[in-house]
Amino acid sequence: MLIDRCAHASPWRRISPAAKGLFALAALLGAYLAPSPGLALGLALGLVLLTLAGARVPLPDYLGAAAPALGFLALGCASLLFSLGGPGGLAPRFLPEALDPAARLGARSLAALAALLFLVLSTPLPHLIALLRQLRCPEVLLDLMVLCYRMLFVFATVFRDGRTAQAARLGHAGARRSLRSLGLLAAGLLPQVWLRALELHQAALLRLGDGPLRFLAPSFPRARQELAWAAAGSLGLLLGLGVLA
Amino acid sequence: MHIMEGFLPVAHAAGWTLASAPFLAWGLISLRRRLREQPEQRMLLGVAAAFAFILSALKLPSVTGSSSHPTGVGLGAVLFGPLAMVPVGFVILLFQALLLAHGGLTTLGANLFSLGIVGPFVAAGVFRALRGLGASLALGVFLAAALGDLATYLTTSVQLAWAFPDPVGGFAASFAKFAGIFALTQVPLAIVEGLLTVAIFNGLARFNGEELRRLKLLPGQEARA
Repeated sequence: MLIDRCAHASPWRRISPAAKGLFALAALLGAYLAPSPGLALGLALGLVLLTLAGARVPLPDYLGAAAPALGFLALGCASLLFSLGGPGGLAPRFLPEALDPAARLGARSLAALAALLFLVLSTPLPHLIALLRQLRCPEVLLDLMVLCYRMLFVFATVFRDGRTAQAARLGHAGARRSLRSLGLLAAGLLPQVWLRALELHQAALLRLGDGPLRFLAPSFPRARQELAWAAAGSLGLLLGLGVLA
Repeated sequence: MHIMEGFLPVAHAAGWTLASAPFLAWGLISLRRRLREQPEQRMLLGVAAAFAFILSALKLPSVTGSSSHPTGVGLGAVLFGPLAMVPVGFVILLFQALLLAHGGLTTLGANLFSLGIVGPFVAAGVFRALRGLGASLALGVFLAAALGDLATYLTTSVQLAWAFPDPVGGFAASFAKFAGIFALTQVPLAIVEGLLTVAIFNGLARFNGEELRRLKLLPGQEARA
């Protein structure tokens, strides 16, 4: 997972997730409050620069993480420029009056996406789960998150092992065998992981672990200071948008 | 599905979040009770969440700031029931946003309503109705997964058409546009998801039959879908 890898490599992973979360929230608010597409685009650009220069996310990785969403956005905005109704029946018709709303929507979504990427590319998921725990998110939901995160890696391991075993038995020699192998692997993946999960549960029970999986929470010694800076930055951002409006 | 970050107007984003919140609370209460009675299902729910995450990460670009992909929630709804899938759907969507920038935090409520609520309830309803009518396990599982997937996409189309009605034809024309273009990719994907779910169910019945019997999905000797 590209985003997870970037977040673990970013020097800003040591900054309190509460501070980054607060700033990202303010930026999301800013994306919605920006009075013009130009300001929303300016906000998006600022957030991109902050993520690239501050969180030291390499540009190719940033583009890789943003590309699918950007593709969806381009198609989405383009589809709003056409109508299927009216006297022409279901024939698509260009709507010049939709240009302005589509531009506003595109700029807002870009700014919101940049805010999301700022947070996730600089904060590893376990830190965000720890933040949710601090915010009193229900324990059962947190447990489900921890298990899901763990199981993603188990799935990856089982898939890799299965694929290697199939390749060793020439299961990918030719398109037809390759397709059959892929189908077998896809159908067998879940039952295998299911068995492993049951074994994990039994192993935990043997160690008297019958509650949620808990890990050491990461510590952020300068969290208060960082939160204060983030609060100031958030306020500045929102006030700045208000003044420019 | 998975409407992208910032794509919905603020009133729609807030409205769908409010609409999803009671279902999430209900799902959490039900899940807590269930895990107290059957703690071994914790791990299996984690597996179901991770599986649905992986399936829904296999995305194809689609129109309107959204994407097409299998949902993976049909299998979970058949195995654990639709209520358990609401918190599972929430975790999947949150992880999709945080790990893949797919979907978003502002659109979490809307995406949860389609993928975590409508999809699983339709899948579980179809499965129970078909089994009640005496249909085979294979047909029940196939149609539950395929129709749950399609219901998710129809809900996303409704959400988008409501947020962005056609200036000329209104909601109906907009819905026809979104649902029609989604259908190009989604109908084949739903069929593939149905077939894959049957294959997986057969695998589970073969290697994990005892668990399926405990979930009351395999009565007695019926061991393959």
